[in-house]
Amino acid sequence: MSDRLLEVRNLTMQFGGVTALSEVNLYVSKGEIAALIGPNGAGKTTVFNVTTGYYTPSSGEVLLNNESIVGLKPHKIARKGLARTFQNVRLFGDMTALENVMTGADSRNKVGLIGSMFGTAQSRRDEESSHLKAAELLNFMGISHRGGQLARNLPYGDQRRLEIARALALDPKVLLLDEPAAGFNPQEKVELGELIKKIRDAGFAVLLIEHDMSLVMKISDRVSVLDFGQKIAEGTPSEVQNNQRVIDAYLGVADHAS
Amino acid sequence: MSTSKISMPKFNLRDKFGDWWEGTTRNQRIIFRVSLIAFFYILPFLDNPVFGTTESDFSSVLFYPMGMYVLMAIGLNIVVGKSGILDLGYVAFFAIGAYTHAILALSFGFNFWVNVVLGMAFAMFAGVLLGLPALRLRGDYLAIITLGFGEIVRIVAINVNFTGGAAGLAGIPAPPNIFGVEFLVDDPRPYYWLVLTLTLLVIWAYMRLIKRRPGRAWEAIREDEDVAEFMGIATTKYKLWAFVLGGAIGGGAGAVYASQVTSIVPELFDLNVSIMILACVVFGGMGNLWGVAFGAALLGYFPEKLRFLSDTRILFFGLLMVVMMNIRPDGIIPRKKREKVYDKNTGKEVSR
Amino acid sequence: MDFSIVVSEFASLFLDGIVVGAIYALVALGYTLVYGVLRLINFAHSEIFMLGTFACLGVTMLLGYTGFEEPIGIGLFLVTFILITFVAAVASGSAAMLLEVVAYRRLRRKGANRLSSLISAIGASFFLVELFRLMTDSKDWDFPRLLDKNSLFEVSSAYVTADKLVVLIGAFGLMFALDRIIQGTRLGRGIRAVSQDEKTAVLMGVDVDKVIAFTFLLGGILAGVASSFYMLFYEATKFNVGFLLGISAFTAAVLGGIGNIRGALAGSFALGLIQQFSSAILGYNWRDVVTFLILVLVLLFKPTGLFGEAIQRARV
Repeated sequence: MSDRLLEVRNLTMQFGGVTALSEVNLYVSKGEIAALIGPNGAGKTTVFNVTTGYYTPSSGEVLLNNESIVGLKPHKIARKGLARTFQNVRLFGDMTALENVMTGADSRNKVGLIGSMFGTAQSRRDEESSHLKAAELLNFMGISHRGGQLARNLPYGDQRRLEIARALALDPKVLLLDEPAAGFNPQEKVELGELIKKIRDAGFAVLLIEHDMSLVMKISDRVSVLDFGQKIAEGTPSEVQNNQRVIDAYLGVADHAS
Repeated sequence: MSTSKISMPKFNLRDKFGDWWEGTTRNQRIIFRVSLIAFFYILPFLDNPVFGTTESDFSSVLFYPMGMYVLMAIGLNIVVGKSGILDLGYVAFFAIGAYTHAILALSFGFNFWVNVVLGMAFAMFAGVLLGLPALRLRGDYLAIITLGFGEIVRIVAINVNFTGGAAGLAGIPAPPNIFGVEFLVDDPRPYYWLVLTLTLLVIWAYMRLIKRRPGRAWEAIREDEDVAEFMGIATTKYKLWAFVLGGAIGGGAGAVYASQVTSIVPELFDLNVSIMILACVVFGGMGNLWGVAFGAALLGYFPEKLRFLSDTRILFFGLLMVVMMNIRPDGIIPRKKREKVYDKNTGKEVSR
Repeated sequence: MDFSIVVSEFASLFLDGIVVGAIYALVALGYTLVYGVLRLINFAHSEIFMLGTFACLGVTMLLGYTGFEEPIGIGLFLVTFILITFVAAVASGSAAMLLEVVAYRRLRRKGANRLSSLISAIGASFFLVELFRLMTDSKDWDFPRLLDKNSLFEVSSAYVTADKLVVLIGAFGLMFALDRIIQGTRLGRGIRAVSQDEKTAVLMGVDVDKVIAFTFLLGGILAGVASSFYMLFYEATKFNVGFLLGISAFTAAVLGGIGNIRGALAGSFALGLIQQFSSAILGYNWRDVVTFLILVLVLLFKPTGLFGEAIQRARV
C-alpha cells in the first residue's frame, strides 16, 4: 500500500451531536486524480477540513505517506505535503500574485525572523528560491503576466489559477482542490481539466471535489461518492455513473436507512 | 487576447514618487536618503514662526510628542497594521520600559544604555507572557484583553511600593554623555536625536523584515489567518513575534521617555496613550510605514501647533479624527501596493 | 486581606453588587446590541452615558435644585425622577443616533475596515469628553439628594434603601420591556435578523439602515436611563465618568458573550458581585485589576463568554 499517499480510515466527525462524516474511508495514490463527489451538504469539504487539520476528527485515522497526521496543526500538515484550495476563492487580497505564491514557497524554507532581519546567507538563498519557485509556478499556471498585480484585482479565472499555484508552491504530495471549476464557463472548464491533468503529470496526486460531472468523469482516475456523511460508492467513473445508489442520491431518493 | 482592462491613470503623488524612485540610480538614492536623514537631524535648528511651534519649544515638541509618537507608532504598526492584531494596550510596554529605567537607575545605579536594553527585554517578556495565551483569540476579544493588560500595568504601578505608587518616581537619571553630547534637563535636542537614531534603526530592521519572509507571513495572517495556516505559516509564532517586537519598541521608547522627563507617575500611562498611538497608525495608513510615521508626526504636531486654540485643541482634534476617517478611511498614505501590469504576450510592463 | 468581611457583610455586598450590576447591565446592553448588528465595539457608548448624567444634572438645575434641599416626598420624587430619566433617555438616545450618523454610517456604506470605524468612534469619544470637560470646568458635580437614603428595612447585614429599590425595579422593568421590543416588534425582529445574517436580512427586505439607527437609539435610551439610576445611587458625576463605567459595562458584556443579550445581563450582575466582593477583600484599589484578570481568564478558557453554546445559538 505504499503508493497510497493520503489515506483516510474510518473517519467520523461530529459537531455537537450532528454527524457530518461517518466511518469514511478514502485514499489517494501516487500519480492519480481521485475525485470526491456527492450532493450538497454531503460532507465533502468537511473531509478537506479534517484532513488538513482544521478540525480534529471525532474518531478515525488520517495518514499522509503512511504517517498519522491527526492532531497536528494545519501548518505542520501543510509542510508535510498536503495543500488545498477553497470552494470560494480565498487569496491574500492585498498582496501581489507573486507574493501570494511566495507565502506557500516560504514554508519549505528554513530561514527565521532573526536570520531575515540580519540578511544572512541562508536568508538570501531562501528569498531567491521562493522567488524563483513562485515565478515558475505562475508560469506553469499561465499567469506569469499577473505577478505584479494585487490578488484581489485579478479576473476570477486567474484568481482560481493563482490559488492553485499558491498551493503547489508548498510542493505538496497531495493537492486538494475544492470545486475548482465553480463559476467557470464550459470552455474554461475544459482548460481547467487539462490543467489538472498537467498537474498530475508533473507529479502531484490530486484529490478533487467537483460538482461538474462531465469534468469529473473526464479527468478522474477514481471516484468516491459521499452522501449524508457516508461513502456510498467508489470506482472508476463509469462504474460510479451506473451505480444505482449514486443515481438515487443525486435524484434525491431517500435511501440512507440501509 | 488583449490585456485586461486597466483603470485610467489618476494623478497620485505616491505613484509619481514611486515612478521617480524606480528611475533613480544607486547613487541618487544614497544622496536622497542621506539628505533626508540629515534634514531630520538638523530639524531642531529650523525653528521659525511658519514651521515651528510658536507657543512651545520646537525641539521639545520634536522629542515629545512627535518623535515619541513616530517611534511608538512604527512599533504598533507591526502589530496592528502589518499583522492585523488589534492591540489596545500598547501603553503597557511603554510603561514597562519607563519603569525599568527609573527603578534600575534609581535603586541600583544601572546605566541608561543597559536599562534601554533591559526595558526592551522586559517588555518582550511581558509580550510573551500575555501573547502566548491571548493571541489564540481574535479581533475584539484580543482588543479587550490587551486593553485590560494596559490598565492592569497602570493600576499595579499605583498600588505597589517599588514603583513609588501613585506619587511615582522622581529624579530619574539622564543618559550619560555620548560622542561629547550632553543630556541636560533644559535641552531636549539630544533626546530628540536619540529618538531619531532609534527610529532610524527600527526602520532599518523593519524594512528588512517586511521585504522578506516574515513580512509576507504577517501580511498573509492579516489577510486571512486560516488560509495562512493552511499555507504552512506558523501563525501563532509569527503573531507572537509581531506582538513581542512591537512591545520591544514600546519598551525602548518608554526608557528614553523616562530619562527625559526625569519623573514619572502611573497616570502618564493611561489608556489614552494606547488610543493616541493607535490613532497615529490608522490615521497615517495602517500597514504603510511612511504613512504611519507621517501620520504620527502630524498628530503629535497639530495639537502643539494649534496651541492658540489652547484648551479646545483636543476637541478639534477629536473632530478631525472623525472627519479624516470619513474622508480617507485608509489613512493619509494608504498601504495599497503599487501594482505592475505586464502584457500577456510580450511580458513587458504596460504603462499605467 | 480580610475574608471574614465576606461572611459578616455578605448580604450587604450582595445587594450592592446587584444594584451596581443592574446599572452596568443597562449600559452593557448598548454595547451588546450595537455589536450584534455592526460587529463593532461602539467606543463612544460610554460618552453617551456620560452625556446622560449631565442631562440629569441639568434637569435638576432647571427645576431649581441647588443640592442643599431636604429629600422630597415619594409622590413628588416619582414625578421628578421620571422627568429626569425621560430627559436623560431622550438626550442620550438622540446623541447615540447622531453618533451613528456622524461616526459610523458613511464608513459602513463605504465598506471601510473595522479599525477605521473604531478610530472614528474614538475621535467622537474624545470630542464628547473634551466638550464636557470644557463645559463643566473639569469639576466634580454633585447631584441633589432626592430620596431619603435611610434604611427602609434590613435583610441580614444589608440596608435596603429606597434608591436601591428604585434602581432594581426600574432596571428589571426596562430589561423586560427591551425583551418585549426585541421579541415582539417589527424593528426588534429586524435587529435579530441583522444580527444573525445581515446579507439574508437585506434579501428578506429588512431596511438595515433603519434597524441600525433603531439599535443605536435603543442603546442610547438604555444608557440614558442608566445614567439617571447612576445619579440617584452615586449622586455625583464628572466629565470622565464614562470611562471606568464604560469599561466595566463592556467587560460585563464580554463576560456574558458579546452580542448576546441575556449574556450581557448575566455578565453584568456577575461583574457587579465580583467587584463588590473583591473590593471588600483586597481593597477598592484592586477592583479593576480583579475585573480584568477574571475577564482574561474567562476569555482564555471560555472565549464565547460565560454562556457558551446554548445561549450563543439563541443570540439576538
